[in-house]
Amino acid sequence: MKNSFLFGMMIVMLGASLLISLALGRYEIDLGTLTQLLLWKLLNIGTAPKEVMLLSNIVFDIRLPRILAVILVGAALSVSGGAFQAMFVNPLVSPGILGVLAGASFGATLGIMISDSWFGVQLFSFTFGFVAVLVALGVAKIYGRSGSQTILLVLGGVISSSLFSALLSTVKYVADPYNKLPTIVYWLMGSFSAVDMKTLSSVAIPLIFSTIALSLMGKYLNVLSLGDQDAKALGVHVVWVRNSAILLATLLSTLTVVVAGMIGWVGLIIPHIARFLVGADNRVLLPMCALLGATFLIIVDTLCRTSMSVEIPIGIATSLIGIPIFVFALKNAKKGFA
Amino acid sequence: MSFYSAENLYFSYNSTPILQGVDLRIEEGSIVSLLGPNGTGKSTLMKLFLGLLNPKSGEVILKGKPLQSYSIKERALHVSYVPQSTQVAFAFCALDIVMMGRIAFESWFQKPSKKDRDLARAAMERLGIVYLEKRIFQTLSGGEKQLVLIARSLAQGAKILVMDEPVSGLDYGNQLRLLETILKLSKEGYTFLKSTHFPEHALMLGGYTYALKDGHILANGLTCKTITEELINELYHTNIELKETVCGYPVCIPSFVHTIKM
Repeated sequence: MKNSFLFGMMIVMLGASLLISLALGRYEIDLGTLTQLLLWKLLNIGTAPKEVMLLSNIVFDIRLPRILAVILVGAALSVSGGAFQAMFVNPLVSPGILGVLAGASFGATLGIMISDSWFGVQLFSFTFGFVAVLVALGVAKIYGRSGSQTILLVLGGVISSSLFSALLSTVKYVADPYNKLPTIVYWLMGSFSAVDMKTLSSVAIPLIFSTIALSLMGKYLNVLSLGDQDAKALGVHVVWVRNSAILLATLLSTLTVVVAGMIGWVGLIIPHIARFLVGADNRVLLPMCALLGATFLIIVDTLCRTSMSVEIPIGIATSLIGIPIFVFALKNAKKGFA
Repeated sequence: MSFYSAENLYFSYNSTPILQGVDLRIEEGSIVSLLGPNGTGKSTLMKLFLGLLNPKSGEVILKGKPLQSYSIKERALHVSYVPQSTQVAFAFCALDIVMMGRIAFESWFQKPSKKDRDLARAAMERLGIVYLEKRIFQTLSGGEKQLVLIARSLAQGAKILVMDEPVSGLDYGNQLRLLETILKLSKEGYTFLKSTHFPEHALMLGGYTYALKDGHILANGLTCKTITEELINELYHTNIELKETVCGYPVCIPSFVHTIKM
């Protein structure tokens, strides 16, 4: 089958990029030594390579947590983007549609301003991500039940995004320009450099759970993409399905901001590429989004940390790489976003 | 026991009254046509029958029980909806769309079973559109889309089909073929509630007609008795004559044709 083959290919590519990314960096490890180290450390096969302490410190303590976080964030952004595109019946929607990214960014900058601990920043970011989505849902609710619910939600999202962007600017304006502002600006450009085992272990379970749960909602999202009335008449609890999907996608998006700041474009372009490969059926599309998103972000992050002597913020890289890909992907728009 | 009926339905959007005391009865296996000018509440009435909207007062009864007492799933077992046009922004193939008729019968994480797939194929076969199964839905013609959506209703297994202006946007040939399909399915025991802009189409299908104007039922009964010259002229502010052809079949002739020299 064509799809099984594609999935097999993608899993191999994800594995390969994981290995290569583990090997590359300021201290380069050749693939032979890396394999020897992994076999010895994980499966107890073979012998320990030379300088095993140094090597395991680099591979397991420094690079692995970061790369695992990259995988989870790449998958999370892409799956939530794909799910939102299906739900809003609009292929131009990205995970930030309901204001979650603006809210989480505002929360994080506020956290940087008033809290000294990294955990505080993460907590603020997480909280305000959800607050922003609640604002969007609240605005949609004000306009009542008449009319198309999805358009009201988009409207609510636009308002909520603008509100939190304005608040974010306010915080930047009053932030101490020598101490706090550079941290804020750097953080807003997105980076995985601060990821450690502690961050990873606290976000891994919700990220994995939500990614899988959202992927499993594929068939309901298919029906939802026909519009509310059709879906209801087919016997689907539209409100229930939509709210669960919004909850899961919000959780995913907020956590990506908590881990790595603002990373744009991934959630918009990966679903397009995935759709190009496997078609629009969300049951297949969303798992493919997860694999593609993870692989894509590993490659970009590896480039970011190895191509220059200073690390390139990943948000800048994903935008610069994402825009041409998106322009190319739009060529398929005529075929119904195949 | 009434099969499918509405009693004294009232409905309004915000403060604008749409339906003001509508009674409608549908017998099993019959075709009911809703006639009326634009914006007169036909679509609203059908949405109330589908349970997509809830009436302000009055209720819809399905097989002796209020429609609102059915769960969404149970309702989907009995009543299905054939929309005028389905917006599909993504490239689903026709078979995928028909398979969606089965969604209420699958459990959460279950893949569609072979049985569901067979039911979907069988539905397409009944309408003679199996050859479309791998085609992308948006690339189909208007007539083919309608047939795919009807197949979805058949796959859903509901014996009542609610259709919102099924022929709108179809060319003449596809209009006639669609009407023929409706007639054929009704002979097999399917029940239809449909709105139409063409009195002639209601006449072709027979059954019952309800004429709706300003949220009231203006006239109702057997189609051949209900649709009269006076009714059409009152409903649509037209000036037509209802003439019988040589074979006894009624057609509408607008008065302005007499002023045109043949």
